[in-house]
Amino acid sequence: MLAGGIPIGIGLMLAGLGGMAILISPEAALIKGGVVSYEVISKYELGVLPLFLLMAHICFAAGASRDFFAVAARFVGHRRGGLALASIGGCAGFGAISGSSLATVATISSVALPEMRKAGYHPGFAAGALAAGGTLGSLVPPSGALIVFGIIAEQSIGKLFAASLIPVATQAISYLVTIILLCAFNPALGPASTRAPWSERLRALGRIADIVALITFVIGGLMIGWFTPTEAASVGVIASLGLLALRGGFTLAALREAVHATLRTAGMIYVIIIGAMLFATFISITGITEAMSGAVVGLHASPVMAIVVMTLVLLLLGSFLDGVALMLLTTPIFLPIAEALGYSPIWFGIFLVRTMELGFVHPPLGLNIYVLQGVAKDLSLGTIFRGVIPFLCADFLHLAAIIAFPAMALWLPKAMGA
Amino acid sequence: SPQPTPKAQYTLTYASPYPPTHPFSRADTAWMKQVEKDSGGRIAFKPFWAGSLISSDMSISEIRHGLADIGLITPIYTRGGVHLQRAQAGFYGGVKTMEDQVTIYDCLVPRFPQLSAELSGLHVLAVQGGNFPGLMTRNRPVRTLADLKGLRLRTQTDSIDVLRALGADPVNMPMAEVYSALAKGVIDGVVAPADTIKSLHFSEVAHYFTTLRLSRGGYPARAMSDQTWRRLSPDLQQVLEQSKPKWEAELNANNARAEKAGLAFAKDHGVQIIPLPAADQARFDALYNRFALVQARQLNAMGIDGEPVFRAAQAHIASGQTRCTKEDKHD
Amino acid sequence: MRPAEETKRPESGARRLLRNAAYAMGATGLGLGAASDGIAVAGRHLGLHLLGSIEITQGAIVLLGAGGMLYATLEGHHASVHMVTQRLSQATSARLARVMAGVSALVFLAIAAGSIWLGAEMWGGFEQTELLHIPIRWLRALWEMVALAIAALFARQALFGNAGEQP
Ligand code: NA
Ligand code: NA
Repeated sequence: MLAGGIPIGIGLMLAGLGGMAILISPEAALIKGGVVSYEVISKYELGVLPLFLLMAHICFAAGASRDFFAVAARFVGHRRGGLALASIGGCAGFGAISGSSLATVATISSVALPEMRKAGYHPGFAAGALAAGGTLGSLVPPSGALIVFGIIAEQSIGKLFAASLIPVATQAISYLVTIILLCAFNPALGPASTRAPWSERLRALGRIADIVALITFVIGGLMIGWFTPTEAASVGVIASLGLLALRGGFTLAALREAVHATLRTAGMIYVIIIGAMLFATFISITGITEAMSGAVVGLHASPVMAIVVMTLVLLLLGSFLDGVALMLLTTPIFLPIAEALGYSPIWFGIFLVRTMELGFVHPPLGLNIYVLQGVAKDLSLGTIFRGVIPFLCADFLHLAAIIAFPAMALWLPKAMGA
Repeated sequence: SPQPTPKAQYTLTYASPYPPTHPFSRADTAWMKQVEKDSGGRIAFKPFWAGSLISSDMSISEIRHGLADIGLITPIYTRGGVHLQRAQAGFYGGVKTMEDQVTIYDCLVPRFPQLSAELSGLHVLAVQGGNFPGLMTRNRPVRTLADLKGLRLRTQTDSIDVLRALGADPVNMPMAEVYSALAKGVIDGVVAPADTIKSLHFSEVAHYFTTLRLSRGGYPARAMSDQTWRRLSPDLQQVLEQSKPKWEAELNANNARAEKAGLAFAKDHGVQIIPLPAADQARFDALYNRFALVQARQLNAMGIDGEPVFRAAQAHIASGQTRCTKEDKHD
Repeated sequence: MRPAEETKRPESGARRLLRNAAYAMGATGLGLGAASDGIAVAGRHLGLHLLGSIEITQGAIVLLGAGGMLYATLEGHHASVHMVTQRLSQATSARLARVMAGVSALVFLAIAAGSIWLGAEMWGGFEQTELLHIPIRWLRALWEMVALAIAALFARQALFGNAGEQP
């Protein structure tokens, strides 16, 4: 069905509803369709995603992203892949505001992707960097995923946040290194521009003083507690409207265009999320999750082998289920196993969220990829998936490092005495 | 293991929005084992935890339509169709124990048919009480009701009026945001039962727990769809009927254990436990009841006569009876 | 969806009306959501508390979600896989697209049916938000209409192909 060109979200709905109709009853399937579809469109936590998108599009209308990337181009543009490097930084920063991978990839890519393509970047490479960079949003504190884990696993959320810092920093570095290496081997991926003199750099910097103020206001306000992460989206929209007015672009046409772009991407994401949730329900009815975890226990393998097998199971499940559903389903089953093998639950939380992030970018159900395709309709999913592959390789190496060196997660909380 | 035994005559699905480690789920698991045993293995269960099959606020409709055979329901959080159920849980001001919450609910059911009518299509398998929420504050201890003045507190809807009358600034935010809101001082405190000190890690971000007791009522909490109920043979229906008090006892025991663990955890983590003076608690209960009566009368707007239900619950609490009186049954 | 679909051809009056409705719904949701949270934050810092702003935002989000999905459908903006269809002949892939549109119509019809069934049961139940008592049945009804409209749009595409968009 998917190969036949049916919209992905609708394909997932079909599989979910059809599976439920067969395994339970058509009546149950219809009712679940009604429950899930309304639940998704009324969920506060998901509703902030379109607001973040709107903020991004207003910033775009204000020319803020153009100016922002102009600065990046002046400072790092003479390096190959410089704009991609800047995007990774943008993803990490925005991830700290939104706490979500989807919001991060949707927002940053709608700003950065057009700019990178304008600069002559290979579209697959640019999209791949953004899809991977977006996953930083899941692990960067305040991470919604870690809060959920802390609650179901009864672990300190403060410790989890501290434990996530080194893994998330090294993850970002691994993407930067990937970009540098890719561009070293194939300079056409992210062409370098001429080196700008310092005078020009500073002039460009001066033009984004207002944007820097806006970002400082949103991130700072969030850290001080002026508003919560979900309120940050609304505050961001209002602040960006102020920016638009300040820059003299506050016209009806500009607003209409921002709303138009926001609505069609948001609508597309909602259809995919409804589909993913119905599909997840179907998957749990099949009992696949229990069967797989039973297989892990049945192996009686060494601790590292058991974790590796667990990783494979999580990746497999992660290609069908979205992040939080995966975490809710697997934590109660896998955490006791990991603890029995001598792993700390804090480490396990970091490992789980890190593995779950991978599910956002690997086929066949990588939500980040679909979101990216929604932002750039002319790119095919194949192009984006191919662009992601090098970053997936970096992800696997990074994940292997977390498994091999648990201290990456555990050292900092201990050192901080948290 | 969730694998059903092959000889089971009925394999019933059980669904809950909570993970299997939650105190509610521990009670559910114990009940399932008990029923498997009592039925001589003729009934087996296939559990679905953590919302993998049913949702938390639409589970009544989902079970009614057979998405799961049995499941956890929370009429107190459901926003439509169960208004008397929802409101009556706020009519128990001054109630002393979880056991009493369950008993009083059971006494109300035969007297007020609306309670059962709201759950048509369902067969209730267990009624549940709950731990009494207290007040967790960040860095401003609440030693008397006067200390509430000016505090921004996250609370559930039914106690907003009381807290406001006492000079506090009640706010309504998703429970998932409370931890970071406390950490950053967006709010000064949260009204929550002691078990959340441990389970939601509030001890990391708040330092005082005042044992102000917010009264709560019992409510039907586990139900089977009528469709499934009718499929069972009479003797198996009887097995389920007889397991009701066992399930309720398990729920109370697990809740009590979680509360105790929460308080112990709080002490170990430097949270100061502040007992509220009895006179303040009594004043709080009186105020709570005054607003509960207002809420009971507001049900009239939906064609529900709530005041008699409130009076009946309060009469029962005042009588100190642990069983339904004759008058309760036949009035 | 083929890029060809996105070429601008004159719209029918009904379709334009639907597009305007979807846009208005979504824009209202965005504006209301941002404003209510924004005012709540400002109010909090000025010391006056606006209880229930979350409920307004939640209501706004329904408008936004429903309007957005309808808008994305009208725009042919749903993410899909083209790897196979790209290799087919123009005629075959057009036929396949119509079949898939038919399947999509049925799926959304099922979603609409489930939503209407649930909505009908809840209709007399005074489903409302806790503080502001915003009646939820109207929000549900709105979503039911939107789900039906999306199903109808796909059905039209299945019956008339892309030409169905400009009768
Ligand atoms: Na984050
Ligand atoms: Na995935």
